[in-house]
Amino acid sequence: MVKFCLHCGENTKVETEDFCCLGCSAAYKIVGKFGFQNYYKLRQINSSVRKIKPEISEEIDVAEFTSREKDGSNSVSLIVQGLHCAACIWLIESILKKQKSVVAARINLSKKTLFLRWTGDAKTGNDLVHLIHEIGYKLLPFDAEILNSADKKYSDSILQALAVAGFGVGNVMLMSYSLWFADLNEMGRESRNLLHLFSSLISLPVIIFSARPFFASAWRSTKQGFPNMDLAISIAIFLACAVSLLQTLRGGTHVYFDSAVMLIFFLLIGRYLDLKARKKAFTIASEFTLLSASFGRVEENSKIKILPTKQLKEGMILVVAVGEKIAADGIIIEGKSEIDSALISGETLPKKVAQGSEVFAGTINLAAPLKIKITKAANKSLLSEIIRLSEEAENKKNHYIRISDYLSKFYTPAVHILALGTFIFWLKSGWENALMNATAVLIITCPCALALAVPIVQTIVISNFIRKGILLKSGEALEKLRNIDLVVFDKTGSLTIGSPRLVEIFLLQKNEKILPTNTQKNYYLKLAATLAAKSRHPISKAILESFEGQLETLQVQEYQGLGLESNFENKVLKLGRKSFCQLKNNFEFDQNKLTCFAKFGEDELVFLFEDALKLDAKNTIEALKKMGKKIILLSGDAKNSVENIAKKLQISEFYFEQTPLSKVQFLEKLKAKNQKFIMVGDGLNDAPALALAHVSISFSKASDISQNIADVVICGEKLTPIIELINSAAKAISLMKQNLLIALLYNLFAVPYAMAGHVVPLIAAIAMSSSSLLVLFNSLRINSAK
Amino acid sequence: MTVLIFLIPITLALGLLGLGCFLWSLKNKQYEDLQGAANRILFDDLAENQDKK
Repeated sequence: MVKFCLHCGENTKVETEDFCCLGCSAAYKIVGKFGFQNYYKLRQINSSVRKIKPEISEEIDVAEFTSREKDGSNSVSLIVQGLHCAACIWLIESILKKQKSVVAARINLSKKTLFLRWTGDAKTGNDLVHLIHEIGYKLLPFDAEILNSADKKYSDSILQALAVAGFGVGNVMLMSYSLWFADLNEMGRESRNLLHLFSSLISLPVIIFSARPFFASAWRSTKQGFPNMDLAISIAIFLACAVSLLQTLRGGTHVYFDSAVMLIFFLLIGRYLDLKARKKAFTIASEFTLLSASFGRVEENSKIKILPTKQLKEGMILVVAVGEKIAADGIIIEGKSEIDSALISGETLPKKVAQGSEVFAGTINLAAPLKIKITKAANKSLLSEIIRLSEEAENKKNHYIRISDYLSKFYTPAVHILALGTFIFWLKSGWENALMNATAVLIITCPCALALAVPIVQTIVISNFIRKGILLKSGEALEKLRNIDLVVFDKTGSLTIGSPRLVEIFLLQKNEKILPTNTQKNYYLKLAATLAAKSRHPISKAILESFEGQLETLQVQEYQGLGLESNFENKVLKLGRKSFCQLKNNFEFDQNKLTCFAKFGEDELVFLFEDALKLDAKNTIEALKKMGKKIILLSGDAKNSVENIAKKLQISEFYFEQTPLSKVQFLEKLKAKNQKFIMVGDGLNDAPALALAHVSISFSKASDISQNIADVVICGEKLTPIIELINSAAKAISLMKQNLLIALLYNLFAVPYAMAGHVVPLIAAIAMSSSSLLVLFNSLRINSAK
Repeated sequence: MTVLIFLIPITLALGLLGLGCFLWSLKNKQYEDLQGAANRILFDDLAENQDKK
């Protein structure tokens, strides 16, 4: 029977064990101690989210991120990793609230952040964070100011303006309704004047408040010499108000207050949707503050001091324990170990390092403790270099001209010329009448439907993708996806799974390798997995993952950097390096594959591993080729393994041993040739390339920076969403174009009427709302089109 | 028709009241975490029981 860990839900592999590791067992006890056992009954584990498993975590100091509240308490905002469901919120908040020092603890599920307020010093705060770490969630402090960025303020101000405009529309319509449908004989001149007066009393403040975003944008664009559509809108609103006010004061027939307010209301809806489709939650810069929140242990006068990464200087001696991230670039002066540098270089296999080897910040020490002499201060390390490169690339990105911006370049002057023509034509019947008709032209041509056409489609498509586990972070990416020439893939973690998988087991006899029978294989795998369960090495993990069923209970001894040893039925079991297992047989193996040796009693075995391709990699590449896209493989890994993958997937153009900088240079060359490309990557080393790409795609397992930069993040290990993305983008673009066409056609019909002076406020209102509704309904077709 | 002089301001006052409520809730960060609010309600009872223990 397979048993799952009571705490994190992972397969425990051993039937007698309730937990998969000591950390989980301790976490379970903590939850029990506070009386929250109910949590385990209520929670739902979401497989796409990080497991609730305590890690040997880097120490986190919140001191630099705390701010003092008025009442003397401290507060900090933290990002929470591992939130699965509402029960997680409840557990974290309740446990924190049980601590005496906590004043407030509130999780924001949408943003995955925790706001924590406590009395006491920073150390108390660190203890609180540590407590949550022990249960298995990961907390990272960040600068709360990021959440109050200019973007957020702008989106709030749009929402406020929208609310006020909504109020205005509703109430002005009350007056307008009677004005439209009752003539002067029924209503009387005084009633009409009264209604006009009330209309102006409602509309003017509403317009002054709600139209500010348009006025501001129009002013900005005019100052820069490129008047945009907002200028046309502002002029129309201003004229409509001026004319209507004049008419109200003089007791005239028609006022356009209702049209002006409705116009603003519709435009603000479009603006709000557009904003929602475009927003990116965090910037690269904020991600950097997260990274620099980590720490390094420094040895000084044979004492160990914990220093924030920022304060690490050249020449200091860094002590790195097993499983820890290395905090700065340096040279090893003591110890032998293996380093996982997948994040930095994209190499799958751990690298062996010894005295004198160079190591980089951000890599993980796997096998044995190390002492490192720092050669570069943290702000000059390879890691911060990559981040700097990414920021530069993102700035270099050409500004994409969106479809609607492109259209407005022609639309605005055309409309103004028409309005001016109307004014001149009607001048002979008096300037007042001429002004009325010119205003009508401006109102009727105001791009309501035009402003709604694109954002509505974007919003619908983005929410559709979210349901499928594809996170589209900007609506612009959708427009950019439509004419892509080539797709550039990174290897490790993008085309492949990113960690080694067991592919074969061989028995060694008389210097020959033979395939074991199935029963033999299961038996050996079981023993190997039992040993491997005690180690955190990627190879051990791979063996454990390939084994289904229950393990033996054995005492296992780990020799750091060498292997594992145990006793079973009077046989010595050994798993690890060739020299460690003391094999008698000799045999050469495929250089592309990673090997691990074992000696179980007298049986000698070899395990072969490979970074396996994602299941749908081949299909995806084929489909992309069929669509006429060129494929390029750009990897930081060694020649052999890149060649191997390229052959399997029939990719003719591939490059190996690429550094982050050479990747960027390669892509810049493509860009210079005016090629439009998608970059698919996951590692930190891909981040600059992702930032430069036309459209960038990353994965939910990728490094945080890559996820932040990418336009699209795919949850899970699938590649087929890329095809879906390209197809949906094509569909969405055609819908956007239809919408724009509808909007333009409507104008084509309505403008002659307005110029002829037939458009009274009633007709303007009907035309405006009906064209907007038409655009909305057309956009909804994207749901039924599938 | 003189009744309009009273009725229109009354409608406006009611409308403004609604608008004021919305703006207040916006300022009060009621729309910051819609997802959390939807889920949180499931655990309200539980939290109370826990406190009583």
